[in-house]
Amino acid sequence: MAETLLSAPAPKLTPGLRAALPVLALLAAGFLAPLLTVAAYAFATPKSFDVFRSFTLENFAAIFDTNNTVWMSFAWALALAFACVVILLIVCYPIAYGLNRVFGRWSGLVSVLFVFPLFVSENVRLYGWVLFFIKNGVLDGALKWFGFPGGPELLYTPGITLFGMVYVYLPFMLFPMTLGIAMIPRDLVDAARDLGANRLMIWRAVELPLAMPGILIGALLTFVLSAGAVAESKILGGQSVITITQDIEAAFTYAQNWPLGSALALILVLIVSGLALAAMARLDLDKILGKR
Amino acid sequence: MSSVASPTPFSPAAPKTPRPVLQLVDVCKLFDGFAAVDGISLDIDEGEFVTIVGPSGSGKTTLLRMLAGLESPSDGYITLRGELINDVPSNRRPTCLVFQSLALFPHMTVGDNIEFPLRVRKVAPDERRRRALELMAKVRLPEDYYAKNVMLCSGGEKQRVALARAFAYDPDVLFFDEPLSALDYKLKKLLEKELKDLHRESGKTFVYITHSLEEAMVMSDRIGVMRAGKLVQIGTPEQIYTAPADRFVAEFFGEVNVIPVRRSADGWLRRDGRPVAVAPGLAIAGDEASVVVRPEYMRFVTAEAGADNTISGTIFNEYSLGSRLQYQVRSRTGRTFLVEVPRAAAWKGDGEVTIGWDAASAIVVGG
Amino acid sequence: MHTLGETRSRFLIRAWTAFVVLAIYLPIACGALAGLSKGRYFAFPVRVLSGEWWGKTWDSFEIHVLVQNSLLIALLVTVLSVLFAFFGALAFARYPWKGRRAFQRLLLLPIFFPQPVLGLALLLWFNALGISPTWKTAVVAHLVWIVPVVTLVIAIQVFSFDPVLEEAASDLGASRLFTLRTVTLPILWPGIWSGALFAFLLSWGNFPLSLYTAGADSTVPKWLYSKMVAGYTPMVPALGTMSTLAAAALLLAGGLIRILVRRRMR
Repeated sequence: MAETLLSAPAPKLTPGLRAALPVLALLAAGFLAPLLTVAAYAFATPKSFDVFRSFTLENFAAIFDTNNTVWMSFAWALALAFACVVILLIVCYPIAYGLNRVFGRWSGLVSVLFVFPLFVSENVRLYGWVLFFIKNGVLDGALKWFGFPGGPELLYTPGITLFGMVYVYLPFMLFPMTLGIAMIPRDLVDAARDLGANRLMIWRAVELPLAMPGILIGALLTFVLSAGAVAESKILGGQSVITITQDIEAAFTYAQNWPLGSALALILVLIVSGLALAAMARLDLDKILGKR
Repeated sequence: MSSVASPTPFSPAAPKTPRPVLQLVDVCKLFDGFAAVDGISLDIDEGEFVTIVGPSGSGKTTLLRMLAGLESPSDGYITLRGELINDVPSNRRPTCLVFQSLALFPHMTVGDNIEFPLRVRKVAPDERRRRALELMAKVRLPEDYYAKNVMLCSGGEKQRVALARAFAYDPDVLFFDEPLSALDYKLKKLLEKELKDLHRESGKTFVYITHSLEEAMVMSDRIGVMRAGKLVQIGTPEQIYTAPADRFVAEFFGEVNVIPVRRSADGWLRRDGRPVAVAPGLAIAGDEASVVVRPEYMRFVTAEAGADNTISGTIFNEYSLGSRLQYQVRSRTGRTFLVEVPRAAAWKGDGEVTIGWDAASAIVVGG
Repeated sequence: MHTLGETRSRFLIRAWTAFVVLAIYLPIACGALAGLSKGRYFAFPVRVLSGEWWGKTWDSFEIHVLVQNSLLIALLVTVLSVLFAFFGALAFARYPWKGRRAFQRLLLLPIFFPQPVLGLALLLWFNALGISPTWKTAVVAHLVWIVPVVTLVIAIQVFSFDPVLEEAASDLGASRLFTLRTVTLPILWPGIWSGALFAFLLSWGNFPLSLYTAGADSTVPKWLYSKMVAGYTPMVPALGTMSTLAAAALLLAGGLIRILVRRRMR
């Protein structure tokens, strides 16, 4: 996208384009170029560093080989991401609604409470859960102290990985959703009630469609982020589930097979950015952020 | 207007001073090939209060923005005291615009807002404060508003702050872009009068744009009417009211009765073929014309009081306009006419009426 | 005014929110507890509380280096990203220009992108350029993700900025620079301030990008991770808690400064 912008036939340097240039340059050098490098590596000879010098589809052949179980990682990553989105939709909706309609002057403070964890490294927060769930940890210890036989073995399961994702990505669902619900004009809800609609009908016919842009952004954001998540399964899940990002990382580090890692990354990127672009095409960012 | 004004041919107001302060020659503004302002020529004299009126989209705001230096004309000349200012940026023009939104700086106090142009000129703080307080007194803002956050002021107070700020710049010409449009009726009336007073006291040239006839009538020395980027007519309020250049101007200036007529050998005929009495000395080019009768010149015709032209019909609505009453009368042909009379002259008879007007109180315009 | 059903659902919403907030802060509290307990291994209920591990962490040279690295990266990222994002936000929200919609979407892409994958892609790219990764490359990596976030934060403020104010300033004789200094920047200031806070805190707490792009240089989150997977020491929760408290203090101070400045302007 940046290339088309930059190489358009002698673009007049309007104030807008001029202001966008530094960011465009940064994204071209720090985002698009790395992705192109990944794409280039994906077609290089396996287990080599012959980028730009060789062209082969072997990496993709290896991935789609029936003997290879890498598709399991893809399946796990996407399934976990999907489950994470569904759970977050349910968890966050009441809170987002509350931030707009119930908490009143407290909603600023409540928002800050939800923003703050973003500034704490996710591994620190996830490790706190390890301390909570681990044997002789907070849960186990507390149950024993009350005379129970001890806590359930929750750590190092796929379920706890999902729990970790829900926990880490909650703000990414909550805030777009809150913005979305803020876009519902109160008058419309009152009008619908005045016209005799019951609460379920108001929700389905008025609130949900109007809040949809925000909800969609939240769902997309959390899907994409959790599809690429790695810390949750490593710290909490104890590798009980191998997600695709872990495979990519392994190819880059232990296996030193950069071309294979790149091919995997490329497929993930295509899935993710395809989704992101498709959904974003339908959104009017001016309206969501500017409330105009 | 108690006397019946006779229609006079369009003529520009006699200049008060020989030297115009602002001169526009054939000014155009194109946006993507669309002419928002399409060849306007106009002289504005020193100390004059000129109002440009027109419906939204007529190009009046674009015209004002070019005068203030916020847009540059695509064609034509704008001169200020004889100097070409086409491409002089707004911060180098001795003119000042009061914006529709007022554009008060929300992060500043009332005092800081008024002092802004003085700060630009590096006036010392004490002197700035003195001048600001002086101006606040002039626009009738209480002194203790000096340190008040401007966003906590009411609509009328904001208006006064914006005026004081504009005066602090001490411009040669002040421009106003519908600054009163957001206010309620009573406040608007009050501020219109204050603005007129301020104009008289300061002796400065005011150029005002609005879409409201009333505002223009109350304040202006001259009124210009714009339509589709062109200046259709310019003249004193009296001239515009009593001698509109065409049907558009006539209709723009309030509710009117329009009776289409066509020329024949015996004079002008109505649609039903009846002749229409018009004032002598008309110079209408084509064969089609409109007789425009303002509702207050239309009256009920009785045996005692006849009229040059008459129409019979039925009253089907009656409104109170406060001191006056307005009747809607439907003629036999189904057209609706408006009759406005003083409350004392309320119609006492039944619904079947004859209404009429005198030739001298009607205006005939082409088209 | 409210019906019984509404009162009940409002109560449920409040209760649910409180529960989720508690759940969010529970692991942070667990970490704080573990860092403050005596002994090498954590066990609940904690028998003896002590500042032993806080003291050790505070005195450790290794950790001083980490904190310095993290601070340096975060400060650089803050300054640079505010500069980039200020102009980016003007392009995003202020000027009507032809590529604006495309620009808005392009800007969101790095946010809508899994950070570990972004980090690995950057690693590949730096390698292709022949740059060996250090804390400097980590700054670049942080910028790629943080500049878009900060741009959005500032853009929200820019959306509410009426460009007519700049015209008015110019009409009253102000030069472009004077207008920028006295009108534009003061009005956008809250957005810029929040953006700077976001930039600093996001960089301070960032783990996935630092992991792959900082090379041999370590940052606080990176060091914590390496100890989590191999070799637990109570210094891990101690340092984690310190880092969290530092972020909280900064957020609080930032918020207070904002409120104070707003008060003064009244």
